[in-house]
Amino acid sequence: MIKLLNISKIYQPDVHALRDVNLHIKPGEFISIVGQSGTGKTTMVKILTGEERATNGRVLVGGWDITNIGQREVPWLRRQIGVIYQDFKLLPKKNLRENVSFALEVCGNTPTKISSIVPQVMKIVGLEDKQGRYPREVSGGEQQRAAIARALVHRPKILLADEPTGNLDSINANEIIELLLRINRFGTTVVLVTHNREVVNRLKRRVITLDSGMIVGDQEVGKYIL
Amino acid sequence: MVFLSFLRIIKFSFQDIYRNIWLSIVTITILILALFSINLLLAVRVISDTAIGAVKDKIDVSLYLKPDSTEEEIMALKSQVSNLTQVKEVSYISKAQALEFFQEKNKDNPEILQALRELGKNPLTPSLVITPKASEVAGELIEELNKIKSDLIESRNFSDHKLMLDKINGITGKVNEIGMIISLIFILITLLVVYNAVRVEIYTHREEIGIMRLVGASNSFIHMPFFLSSLIYTLIGTAVVILIFYPFLSLLQPYLETFFTGYDINVISYFNSNFIKIFGLEFLAVALINALASWMAVRKYSKV
Repeated sequence: MIKLLNISKIYQPDVHALRDVNLHIKPGEFISIVGQSGTGKTTMVKILTGEERATNGRVLVGGWDITNIGQREVPWLRRQIGVIYQDFKLLPKKNLRENVSFALEVCGNTPTKISSIVPQVMKIVGLEDKQGRYPREVSGGEQQRAAIARALVHRPKILLADEPTGNLDSINANEIIELLLRINRFGTTVVLVTHNREVVNRLKRRVITLDSGMIVGDQEVGKYIL
Repeated sequence: MVFLSFLRIIKFSFQDIYRNIWLSIVTITILILALFSINLLLAVRVISDTAIGAVKDKIDVSLYLKPDSTEEEIMALKSQVSNLTQVKEVSYISKAQALEFFQEKNKDNPEILQALRELGKNPLTPSLVITPKASEVAGELIEELNKIKSDLIESRNFSDHKLMLDKINGITGKVNEIGMIISLIFILITLLVVYNAVRVEIYTHREEIGIMRLVGASNSFIHMPFFLSSLIYTLIGTAVVILIFYPFLSLLQPYLETFFTGYDINVISYFNSNFIKIFGLEFLAVALINALASWMAVRKYSKV
């Protein structure tokens, strides 16, 4: 599903964010990428979403070589990968339903299709009663749920979660992780980037450990070892 | 699909204006102030051009003739002068008319009128009052008049006239030059203000633009609502300026008519006859600046 082949990323003048990273993520996997701050986790997510280009190596997502992806192709890549962030990245002037619909509207989906998919996804994330609320009117956990709903409307094969529990208390964090596990059970490959030790240890799934831009651990049923 | 995207762009644009109503009002207000200033400057130019025209209209050259000249001789000379390329109009002032004008001019000066009565005869000479086609050719006209060989001409000392004409031409030229420079500076400042107002407006949307890009919106889908919003701002701004500026001109017009008594000055009719040219051009220029500013700002914030 995702292949990183000898990936390096150097920020000028001489900051090595990633060093010769090789990683193969299989379809349907739930994988955690862990490491302390500044170890290259977010850089990896940015490379996978086309926000950054690798300095060396090759990147394949679902068989598509995105190593030198053009600016015009980036929107198409992002419609195939669902991404959620620590700061939710919801549009503040749109309500939760509009935030979710927006992801479909930008792809040119018909209103009929949108009004059929959005309520279903809102129900999956448990926000069917709060669709008309604006992001400022709901809790952090609910904002993250809305962000997950937005990421899911395209029915992506891959869901990237970049520190999704970073801004949440432990109860909300657990609920989000449960939601991600549910989504994974539907067959979506989930890549969870986190430095939350408790979450990783409880998951008992594959764990990739990054340190100084290098993969220092890859365990099938792993723990947070740093 | 294109039609659907177009409808959505319109929807997002109006939604954005409505949900950021205060920011929209501030942006439109800046546009209105900028356009009002430009039109005010234009009105000042119209007034100053009328004032300059009024001064130049006053320029004429008089050819004083011998008192014993016959009407036929004078008419022949008038015809000769009229044929000069620099001449717009030649008026003949007979001895009697000259006396009449003199008396009218000095009606409040009893000493002069008394002296005239004591003289017992009309001491004034007939003359030809020659109006040049333009103040700039008045110098050439004087040279041509000096070349005419005729015994009828009593006086043709135009040296004072020439000096004054040069001064008038110099002053009006400078006024035009300074007016043009001030206008250009003012237009430049206005365009910069408009450009920055739009950039600030889009700066407040920078996070949204980044988010749109992250959820897979194409460049055109991000750019177009902002572009459309800026067009709507420009349209509203221009319409409001038209609504405000005409009543303002109506208030100004009576004062101008009083000040320029005897001259045809009508700023309202000037704006009426050049309506499309003035407001259309302003709309296009501001829309272009807005579009450029929004395109550059959105491009900057959509690089994610």
